[in-house]
Amino acid sequence: MRYIFKFPDIGEGIDEGTIAEWYIEKGQTVQVGDALCKMETDKVVTDIPSPKNGTISARYGKIGETINVGDPLVEIEIEGTEADAGNEQQTEAVEEEGAGVVGTLEIAGNNAFLPASDEGFDEKEEEDKKPKKKALATPVARAMAKELGVDISKVTGTGPANRVMKEDIQNHFNQSGKSKTPSNSNISGENEVEIEPLSQLRKSIARNMVQSKQNAAHMSVFDEIEIEELIRIRTKYKERFAEQNVKLSYLPFVLKATAMALRKFKALNSEMDLENNQMIYKKYYNIGIAVDTPDGLVVPVIRNVDKKTIFELASEINEMAHKARNKEISLDDMKDGTFTITSFGSIGGMFAVPVINYPQAGILGIGRIVQKPVVKNNQIVPGNVLPLSMSVDHRIVDGGEVTRFLNQIMEYLSDPVSLIID
Amino acid sequence: MTTVHKYNLPDFDIFNNDQANKNYSFWIPDKKYLILGQSNKPEDSLFEEKVNEDNLTVYKRPSGGEAVILTKNTLVISIVFTAENFENPGKYFSIANGFIMNALRKLGISNIGQKGISDITIGNKKILGSSIYRRKDKIFYHAVLNVSESISQIAYYLKHPKKEPDYRKGRNHQEFVTSIRAEGFTFEIHEIISAIENEIISNNHN
Repeated sequence: MRYIFKFPDIGEGIDEGTIAEWYIEKGQTVQVGDALCKMETDKVVTDIPSPKNGTISARYGKIGETINVGDPLVEIEIEGTEADAGNEQQTEAVEEEGAGVVGTLEIAGNNAFLPASDEGFDEKEEEDKKPKKKALATPVARAMAKELGVDISKVTGTGPANRVMKEDIQNHFNQSGKSKTPSNSNISGENEVEIEPLSQLRKSIARNMVQSKQNAAHMSVFDEIEIEELIRIRTKYKERFAEQNVKLSYLPFVLKATAMALRKFKALNSEMDLENNQMIYKKYYNIGIAVDTPDGLVVPVIRNVDKKTIFELASEINEMAHKARNKEISLDDMKDGTFTITSFGSIGGMFAVPVINYPQAGILGIGRIVQKPVVKNNQIVPGNVLPLSMSVDHRIVDGGEVTRFLNQIMEYLSDPVSLIID
Repeated sequence: MTTVHKYNLPDFDIFNNDQANKNYSFWIPDKKYLILGQSNKPEDSLFEEKVNEDNLTVYKRPSGGEAVILTKNTLVISIVFTAENFENPGKYFSIANGFIMNALRKLGISNIGQKGISDITIGNKKILGSSIYRRKDKIFYHAVLNVSESISQIAYYLKHPKKEPDYRKGRNHQEFVTSIRAEGFTFEIHEIISAIENEIISNNHN
């Protein structure tokens, strides 16, 4: 019979590891304690020992491949007394704790034991009676099958030795007309749905958003500012910038105004370190810009904004936008932000309640500039109004502070020359 | 193109030598070395141009984790454990780091803690990184303690790591790493060695 040995939890609180080296080949005999492979996690490189005596009938994963705790690592054909034992003993053996092996093992369930041979069975008649045969598949394919609700044993593998590959799962799923929905989904089977595995970016966004909402005490304020002078200046310099292949939007001005206001309101450029009961006030002004891409939201960071000219900021924004469009934003591009601006107005919408890029203290949302009546010199005249939405972590920033901060930004934007004077 | 050497530095002797008198060792590097983690690539982890310009030797250690720099102002601490039944290796971080943290506390360094998977910190800044390599029943713990090395040295040769512990929160080397000296403690390396050794011996790990 076969015993499926799964990658055990080696106790660092991590859930995956990378196969660094295989020590065994298919067909090789192993004893309890023999090293099967070398596995690397974040801090540990360790041999993974065999929990059983037997012959390796399959091994999963290539060198360099990352697998999750609980994914099959090898299948061992067990011989001798264990194999000769009756079904009851087989079940006992499957459910035992992984004594003598790394940590507490996740042992495969009953169907991890396979008959050594299918002889004597009419496959169709006995299909429901016998344990399901464990399909040969890559760990990625297994995860994908689980995600899409595909019965992997019904998929024809196209990989080596008919191993089921990721593409096979996708093809099977596509051909099945989406007949399966995840068992834990609350979607009715009668409604047509499309199911896609979560991308890493979407998972990351989900994790960060929930972390922010769970840890920060969100509070928002809104305001509007008439930006006639800013429009005049932008119009004046737009052509000049374009001659140097730099597109001038309003964002560089907002960036600069925000960085200069942050210098005056240090709480907005800080984070709370509860572990050590302290506030961390940052003396550098790195502002992240939330960028909408087809794959999801990314937040590249413009560094030392307070020290840069409008031209330099415009150039960097252009560069980041180019990188975002071409999926070239790196982890380094998104690190070290101290505050975030989200400029959703370029798409539409006036106000929003932005979610703080935790552990930062605040985020500023820029809405769409609209023409609306404003009062100037006691006259109602048409004005160009920029809506601002600001969320802060109320644990760090009080209402008065954030309002004064927003007033300061509006003051800079209504008189853009002050951005180079102050 | 950076040449990466197989790890054979003095701290590894106690692991390779079954006849070693002690199952721990302290090594003060004689010069600068750059050490990659098992799966690190020089181009991802190092500013190769600077490393090669300064003619530094690069090694790849058998254990995991990210690249580190060893200098005369750092202390490499190694401990070998023999684990029956292939126990969970993660717990050996707690044991070994426990020796070191107790020793540092006894020297009067306050605010010592363990963060991430296996870092030792003063406040929110890292002073020691560690990793583990296990072969059969032997577990090799090794760690680098920054006694007095300038953080600019780290930032000069090492890129921002691809993986980082949660508590790093994107901080660059200058903001994330510190040394015992930079935190205001002026112990000589030998005083620190003596304190850690006492801690190891008093816990019968020798």
